Amino acid sequence: MKRKGLILVIVLLAFLTLIACSAEEEVTEELLEEDWARIEELAQGSEVNFYMWGGDQRINQWVDDYAASRLEEEYGIELNRVPMGPDDYLSQLLSEKEVGRQQGSIDLVWINGENFKEAQENDLLFGPFAEKLPNYQQYMDTESPEITTDFGYPTEGYESPWGQAQFTFTYDQARSEEAPYTFAEFVDWIKENPGQFTYPDPSADFVGSVFVRHIIYEVTGGYEQYQQIEDEEELKEKIRPALEFLKELKPYLWREGETYPATVAQLNNMFADGELMATMAYSSILTSGEIAAGNFPDTARTFVLENGTIANTHFVAIPFNAPNKAGAMVTANFLASFEAQLTKYDPERWGDLLVFSYDKLSSAEQEKVDSIDVGEATLSQEVLDEHRLPEMPAELIPVIEREWERVVNR
Amino acid sequence: MKLVNSSFWKPYLLLLPALIILVGLFLGGVALAIMQSLGYFPLLGLEEFTFDYFREIFADPHFLTSLGYSLYISLVSAVISVIVGVFFAFQLMRLADRYRVINILYKLPIIVPHIVVALLIFLLFTQSGFWARLAYRLGWIEEMSQFPALIFDRRGIGIIFAYLWKQIPFVTLIVYTIFKNINQRWEQVALNLGASKIQVFWNIYLPLAMPGIASAFIIIFAFSFGAFEIPLLLGPSYPRTLPVLAYQRYASSDLSQRPYAMAITVVISLISILLILIYKKIMDYYQLKK
Repeated sequence: MKRKGLILVIVLLAFLTLIACSAEEEVTEELLEEDWARIEELAQGSEVNFYMWGGDQRINQWVDDYAASRLEEEYGIELNRVPMGPDDYLSQLLSEKEVGRQQGSIDLVWINGENFKEAQENDLLFGPFAEKLPNYQQYMDTESPEITTDFGYPTEGYESPWGQAQFTFTYDQARSEEAPYTFAEFVDWIKENPGQFTYPDPSADFVGSVFVRHIIYEVTGGYEQYQQIEDEEELKEKIRPALEFLKELKPYLWREGETYPATVAQLNNMFADGELMATMAYSSILTSGEIAAGNFPDTARTFVLENGTIANTHFVAIPFNAPNKAGAMVTANFLASFEAQLTKYDPERWGDLLVFSYDKLSSAEQEKVDSIDVGEATLSQEVLDEHRLPEMPAELIPVIEREWERVVNR
Repeated sequence: MKLVNSSFWKPYLLLLPALIILVGLFLGGVALAIMQSLGYFPLLGLEEFTFDYFREIFADPHFLTSLGYSLYISLVSAVISVIVGVFFAFQLMRLADRYRVINILYKLPIIVPHIVVALLIFLLFTQSGFWARLAYRLGWIEEMSQFPALIFDRRGIGIIFAYLWKQIPFVTLIVYTIFKNINQRWEQVALNLGASKIQVFWNIYLPLAMPGIASAFIIIFAFSFGAFEIPLLLGPSYPRTLPVLAYQRYASSDLSQRPYAMAITVVISLISILLILIYKKIMDYYQLKK
């Protein structure tokens, strides 16, 4: 008798799971068919678990204080920030995929670059959902490579943009009257001031590495050709002139290129000490922050080059087994709203760049953006927009770093 | 019969906790490193053993320069440390007991962590550091950048400074203890027979302390050869020392660089093992002489 009961329970459970699974799939399929009003309705009063890197207090505060309370007000959504980086949540999703767990615990993740690629290659994400979001349609330049690709990998609507960072150079007005604008001016500037410019060691520092990618774009004729490179040898061939250029530049660099600062922090220190006339950052607001903190001289200013500087976009995505996909979509849409983007843009709160296309904003909205005090050293959103280049495919980067090591650093 | 005897197994049993840590953590890691350096890395789909990675690194000029650079830094810093350290120990021995403060002071650098030493050296010797500022203020140099480049330089001056600061007291400590234990009467006899102080040092103290001096030399040489943080913080981007080169390859987001990183670490380990063998030979030699 007892055994029979057990078997019954097992059969029942298996049956229920089956139903749950198929129902889940139906919901998933259906959700992307629903209109937005219905999705918002489904999201009402739900709970969204947002997994994100938690290493920056200001970012955490923005999510906990601002985003969470606004979502509560608008949709009754309870937003739980879970401080877990991509390495951890991806391995969790991967093992859930392996055991076929259809009801996970993660609703939304902060993701980009290599991690997004890994997630997509293992079918860990739900979508394509980005096109469903009204704010995506209204504000983003849906054609631009910053939105449609992520470090060269097509996003295909599986992630929704929510912020950007753009590379800028920093110089000191008190020292150099005018910042260079064309690449030729930039090179002359370095050559006329020997020993006062350098870049961080690209094989050890992220910012140094992106600096080299700028030189590659400038010297070898633009970024487009690098989006579709299959062969390592082809890449090496293509970037060769840029590396030769860097090699010839060495006599004009700090310490004649005999050594490079190991970190961008060291580069910043040497700029602050007046040893160097320029520094650089994968950020457009860092310099204003450093001035406010008293580290950089008040006369420090940022600049970009005529052909642009590299930017990367960061995104949010929804796992394949997110228990609350409707809530996640509403949250993603909220994060891309004008209001959320504007507060995030304020350097007092976070200082992350807008993902909007400036052109797509109404003039009233443009005014609001312009009125935000981003610090005197920061370029306007308009200027940054007009000088923006996409990143290279992530898998090319280590090859470039090794080639720099082999050709330039000797 | 011996194997059934429980007293034969007892020492091994007692050593077991220590052995587990040694075998599990250390030898396990070494075994993995050797396997990966030989190209066995199933995670990447590499499953065949090969010497190709070793062949490639020994054909790579970057690796060879790094090897030379590491040997050069360790040799120079060890030789200078030993000479100064022995001299210092000899002087220390002649100090009266009331100078005890010195006896404590000179040991301080031994306990200061390497990373702190790197920072101190950096603050003092960069071209915008303390000495550069002082020289500039005093008008010895017209511009700060005229101060000689001692940090991140290809001669490794900054790295060697840091090692000297750490190693001289260490040599002193070891050699001083040996000197102290040498029978004072030999010195008195020699002096009585008209030997000079230099002769006393050269013919009595130095030969008797030689095993200790040699082992101190090997220890500091091996340590600086495998050390990572000082050359990372004070070294130039080119050449890098071997440990820094290995780390750089290891930290690359490109996993196919792992076998190269491991091949480099295996080379470092082999050289260290060689040093241990030399050390043992020296010890045996002096043991025989006695």
